[in-house]
Amino acid sequence: MKRLFIYLLLLCSCSSRAQDAASVTEQIIEDMYEQYTAESDEAIDYDSFYEDLKECSLNPINLNKTTPEELKRLPFLSDSQVENILAYVYRFGSMQTIYELQLIEGLDLTDIRRMLPFVFVGEGDFTNKKIYLHDILRYGKNELYFRLDKGLETKEGYQFLPEEDVKSEQSNAGNYLGNELYNSLKYRFHYKDRILAGITVEKDAGEQFWGKVHKGYDFYSFHVQLKDAGKFKTIVLGDFRANFGQGLVLHSEFGIKKSSYVLNVTSRNSGLKKYSSAGESNFFRGGGATIQLGKFDLSAFYSNKMIDGDTVNGTFATIIKTGYHRTIDELSKKQTVNQQIMGGNATYTNMNMQIGVTCVHTLLSCNLLPERSIYNYFYFSGNRQTTGGVFYRLRWKKLNLFGETAITGNGAMATLNGFYFNPISSVNLVVLHRYYSPDYDTFYASSFSVSSRVNNEKGLYLGVEVRPFRKWKFAGYVDSYYFPWPKYGIDAPSVGKDYLFQSDFNAKRNITMFWRFRFEEKQTNFTVSDSVLSNIVPIQKTSLRYGLSYSYGYFNFKNILEGNLSRQSGAEWTYGFIVSQDVSYAFQDTPLKIDFRYQFFDAVSYDNRFYSYEKDVLNAYSIPMYYGLGSRYYLNVKFEFNTHLSFWFKIAQTVYADNRESLSSGNETISGNRKTDIRLLVKWKF
Amino acid sequence: MKKIKYLLSFILFCQSLQSQISTIIPSSNAIALTSVADSYNWTSFNNPAMLGYVVLLEFALQFENRYLLSELSTKSIQFAFPSNLVNAGISFSHFGYSLYNEMLIGLGLARNFSDRFAMGVQFNYYTAFFSSSNSYRGALFPQIGLSVHLSSDFSIGFNTFNPFQTNIKTEYVIKVIPSIFSLGTEYFFSKELVWRTQFDKEVSSNYRFAMGIEYQMLQSIIVKTGAYGSSYLVPCLGVGFKTGAFILDLNCEMHPLLGLNTLAAIKYRFRK
Repeated sequence: MKRLFIYLLLLCSCSSRAQDAASVTEQIIEDMYEQYTAESDEAIDYDSFYEDLKECSLNPINLNKTTPEELKRLPFLSDSQVENILAYVYRFGSMQTIYELQLIEGLDLTDIRRMLPFVFVGEGDFTNKKIYLHDILRYGKNELYFRLDKGLETKEGYQFLPEEDVKSEQSNAGNYLGNELYNSLKYRFHYKDRILAGITVEKDAGEQFWGKVHKGYDFYSFHVQLKDAGKFKTIVLGDFRANFGQGLVLHSEFGIKKSSYVLNVTSRNSGLKKYSSAGESNFFRGGGATIQLGKFDLSAFYSNKMIDGDTVNGTFATIIKTGYHRTIDELSKKQTVNQQIMGGNATYTNMNMQIGVTCVHTLLSCNLLPERSIYNYFYFSGNRQTTGGVFYRLRWKKLNLFGETAITGNGAMATLNGFYFNPISSVNLVVLHRYYSPDYDTFYASSFSVSSRVNNEKGLYLGVEVRPFRKWKFAGYVDSYYFPWPKYGIDAPSVGKDYLFQSDFNAKRNITMFWRFRFEEKQTNFTVSDSVLSNIVPIQKTSLRYGLSYSYGYFNFKNILEGNLSRQSGAEWTYGFIVSQDVSYAFQDTPLKIDFRYQFFDAVSYDNRFYSYEKDVLNAYSIPMYYGLGSRYYLNVKFEFNTHLSFWFKIAQTVYADNRESLSSGNETISGNRKTDIRLLVKWKF
Repeated sequence: MKKIKYLLSFILFCQSLQSQISTIIPSSNAIALTSVADSYNWTSFNNPAMLGYVVLLEFALQFENRYLLSELSTKSIQFAFPSNLVNAGISFSHFGYSLYNEMLIGLGLARNFSDRFAMGVQFNYYTAFFSSSNSYRGALFPQIGLSVHLSSDFSIGFNTFNPFQTNIKTEYVIKVIPSIFSLGTEYFFSKELVWRTQFDKEVSSNYRFAMGIEYQMLQSIIVKTGAYGSSYLVPCLGVGFKTGAFILDLNCEMHPLLGLNTLAAIKYRFRK
């Protein structure tokens, strides 16, 4: 009976996929992104996140012929779930039907529903089929995206004093050179998953498009990625990314952060990959290739690009990664330093083991000399750096061990080691230990850490996921860490801890809810006027979040209630509160979808601030920060004129009710208490 | 003139102390003002989604007297016109007396979607007399409501009044129109016993938490009790009578500082 019920549910999912596969996929991607970012102060690169999964839905993974690398593209699957899928196919042979997924240990209905758009069960393996030009021309798909953003309130940076005014020369010099429009244009081509190519051009708000100082777009990017081309597993040209091992040496993708996916703490997306985002940093420009020789994958790449920095006498203090070139001052720092990077990786993989070596060498045209302060005493300085590392994965019975150890040219070491343990199908556990020495500092590392930089940290993380009953899932983690050297804003070695507990309840097919509790304690400076010693005190923050999602027919509703308490040692507790109502409606006869949200927030102090994901136009993301007292609402509309042409529009407004007379600061200052943004995106498929 | 000053000061004093969010919005006849998830009763300027559940043409009159002072009373009238496509409602509320008064007029539209959920929107026009300019000034703003039955016994309601924080600005003063976010639940223990909770936040006021229980003792009599807390905890009692097409509600609240607040409402439902 239970099995029949599951079959029926899966059938319903399949039929809904047939009805509107693209919408279902987009919804799943949005939900995953929201869950990933819910507990993170930093937004991960949505462009890459979306495009990776979208490509995966257009070229689904054949579960009978798949590899760990392919399955790890699905971020909602934990490493042990990936291992279990592969082990099932290995033990019982090819799956005959997608419904066999329910027989795999550790996969529940939510996971299976999420997997459906991205996987299929098939016979043949045509990945090495020769590519013919006429097939490319005939079956290749082209897409064009045109996006415009604008803030409705005029910011300080766009307000010029008339030339007659004596202060005009000084006042206007720091203003923005361009208009208030953000604009990007993207062209994408794909032939199955074998050939991916694209061009991206972008201009941020305030950047000059055509004027005396600058002509054309501010950022240009192109990429080509070939998969299984002759002897090459992957070839990338133009802008690309490289990720190997646990990211201690190279991981130019979004970082691995703590989230309510408590088991997802290891690096994904290994290998060379195109870069298609509009972000202006964290990518390589040049070319690379991976060749497969039996069980060995050998990769090599070379990058040569200009980066932003404030150069003075052949040195610069910091690499500027904002990508903004709106004022004379910002333009003067644009592309002033040449950065060459060359690297390689060799990985050996078999059924129960993976081991690899990565090496990267960076060469700068100017010396990087950070302005020395106590917190950045160990930051890299110089114009060349070599980093190397060894990583491994071992599977032994129900234990999966993983880790990486890396070392820089100055002898500084970083190491991360851990294991997944799956004692019974309903219990999953992960333990991760990391040690990053204070003087370990390399350019493109991104691994599991509390702060964005992979250095000066050691800690132990323990995550558990339990599914004791059919409709319930419990997850939690504990993370305890220590910064052995001062950090920015903490003038002494400090400690911190972080707990999360979440329970998910699928009451019915159309009603789901969760409760999430989080406690965090870290240390910060405490200024005492007559003390010469650094004083640090703990800051504690406790939050509780309840989310409820329900749907009826073509309506979807969602409520979020969250409260938090925060205090610095010895001070009073301050509180924050946020509550929202979402309504989405997909019209039955018209290709129109509308999302509306009304949200109220009351966060007394900055420490009580909230981040909340909101729906946006395609290929864009928005996780505004809420601090103060006010409300925010938005309307997001998607309309498909026909199978070729689609249109998105969003208008969002935040209104503050705490008597503030202006918002933001500097050139971004808006007078008044309202901030309104509009976004427009047009997509043309041909 | 002294009387006007005294009354205006008292109105402001009361508004600062009382736990009710606004005097111009008529209190609902759901006990402890827990109307946001009250699926079987539409009260003007409360959750407009509830208008969607109205099946018979109805009209209602309501009088609320605060602290035994006629000058602090709110009078309201409402009409609901159900139809197959969408239900419409007209409401009017008046607070104050001849020398100081505020008025609110609303036109609401709502629809019930297969008894699973209802959505409603109401367009309200607020107007008040400003002595500084010796004239009436007004502002138009929306109100949005939603009610969802998650099961046959349990439902939740959402309402936002003046979500865009529209205010009236004159040369000398800014009249703040309340901007309210409300969320509530309704649970039927049995057909006779219902339990409601509500959370309200007016953007510039304290949070308000309310809870109420209504029990149908006899076919024609309902007794109600509850309480709400904001700056003060306010206990509430009420009774409802049904006779034919008429429904009569009498509610009272005891504010610990300001005293008794009473409400009387009569509703007539036309037969098909």
